[in-house]
Amino acid sequence: MIKKVFEKPLNFLETILFLDFIKGMSITIRHAFTKTITTHYPYEKLTPPKRFRGFFGHKTVNGLEPQPVFDEWVDRMKIEPRPGKSRCVVCYLCKKACPVPDLFEIDGGKLENGKKVVSVFNMNLMLCTFCGLCVDACPVDCLFQSDIHETASFSRKDSILNLEKLEAIGKSWQDRREHEPDRIWIDDDARQALWRENKLNLKRVENA
Amino acid sequence: MSIVALGIIIAIKVVVILAIILGIGAYLTLVERKVAAHIQRRPGPMVVGWHGLLQPLADGIKLLTKEDILPSSANFLLYNLAIVMALVPASLVFAVVPFGPEIHVFGYDIKPILTDVNIGIIMAFAFGSLAVYGVALSGWASNSKYALIGALRKAGIIISYEVVITFAALGPIMLAKSLSTYDIVMAQIHQKVWYIFLQPISFVVFVFALLAETGRVPFDIQEAEAELVTGFTVEYGGMKFGLFPLVEWYVEVLSLSSILTVLYLGGWSPINIPFVGFVDPFFFLGPWSGFIWFIIKVTILFLLVLWLHWTLPRYRIDQITTIAWKVMLPLALFNILITAFIAPLLRG
Repeated sequence: MIKKVFEKPLNFLETILFLDFIKGMSITIRHAFTKTITTHYPYEKLTPPKRFRGFFGHKTVNGLEPQPVFDEWVDRMKIEPRPGKSRCVVCYLCKKACPVPDLFEIDGGKLENGKKVVSVFNMNLMLCTFCGLCVDACPVDCLFQSDIHETASFSRKDSILNLEKLEAIGKSWQDRREHEPDRIWIDDDARQALWRENKLNLKRVENA
Repeated sequence: MSIVALGIIIAIKVVVILAIILGIGAYLTLVERKVAAHIQRRPGPMVVGWHGLLQPLADGIKLLTKEDILPSSANFLLYNLAIVMALVPASLVFAVVPFGPEIHVFGYDIKPILTDVNIGIIMAFAFGSLAVYGVALSGWASNSKYALIGALRKAGIIISYEVVITFAALGPIMLAKSLSTYDIVMAQIHQKVWYIFLQPISFVVFVFALLAETGRVPFDIQEAEAELVTGFTVEYGGMKFGLFPLVEWYVEVLSLSSILTVLYLGGWSPINIPFVGFVDPFFFLGPWSGFIWFIIKVTILFLLVLWLHWTLPRYRIDQITTIAWKVMLPLALFNILITAFIAPLLRG
């Protein structure tokens, strides 16, 4: 069988009739009269996938922790779990996993009853490559990456995430997207209407 | 007609033509951006005004309020003279463009053409050739390698295609037996044929030369944004930078499209059925329908140029000159030979 690798060069007649010009121009005129595929960014936004590697956050203690791992680590590190606060067990595994030495600043504070809580958790995102190794290392599903990707700020101070910011991001994530099925894009319909080319026919995952 | 009335009429014509040309030139930037965007399936400017209708104003304010930087080793006189040399000849071409038939206003018979000189076509091409001075001076005076390379490329193109465009235009001139732009249109109306039907080869050659003279794709190597960072305009800033594309891409395209309309598409005449007559759907407008037809033809040509621009890749400099000297010029000469046989057969 003869396989066609690419188009033959135009012959003389086709060249003087500008057949190559006409082919290209027919393509562009067809595109000119089809609908645009742009998302008007500041006014319209596509929701990033659930696994998007955006800004970091701390999930809070809300009864949905991975068990029995969470209880084991709480016992091991002598942590006082406080509902509505960070799940962090001050194990430093994220700091060990991080390829950048100075990115994390973690410290635990002692309570009167002898137990510990996380008191300092700073992440300097000026140094971060958003590789996600710290998220993989976290044993209690506390540190995670959210869908926040508009990370520009007016000062360098704003790019350091402290414990309050991380908890706020985590709480908002748990409200917005924790119960979402884990799939690449959740707004397939919107994307289908916009681009019409990824004819996805996936089965809907019911509340994974 | 008294000398005072003549003077006033000419002054009005000058003001109207300049205002229309430069105003339209500014707004064609929006047209270009919209066409380019839709060909690439983007919407283009959408924020300033309804669908970006006020975008040229915003651009103008931005360019005017920018700092005017003179490169430290640039030649001050030539650097600024280049802008004038680019803008003035390109606008002067419109002096010989007839926009419509003779009209009767306030008791005066007025031809809507600034000067109906009997060498109008030669004048248009002379001013078109002068435009190369603007480019060459700007490239040399700004003392930058990119600018100089761009200017030299543009000079190379214009030297090649000036010859081609003039020989291509000889065909219609021979058929009309006149060099006056007004008379060429009148000849087409009397002979009841647009010269595009008698001169298809010459028309194609003229369109190619038009693209080359105005620096449009596929002949835009003088600015070649990927390799030359927009060529000769690279050292200019603010409104000085804004004027070069305005002149080269819009005013020159408009002027050469008008000349092309005059030579091949019967100027202001309505739709032509060769050797039978003219069909005018705008007959109810009287003599004003001529202006509508002229605008329609120039608009179609401008959109064609845009369509080509945003479709094709660009040729190399050696390919461009090869096409000019080895293909286009022989074709134009061959066309003159054929025209010499056709011309006596036409009445008028």
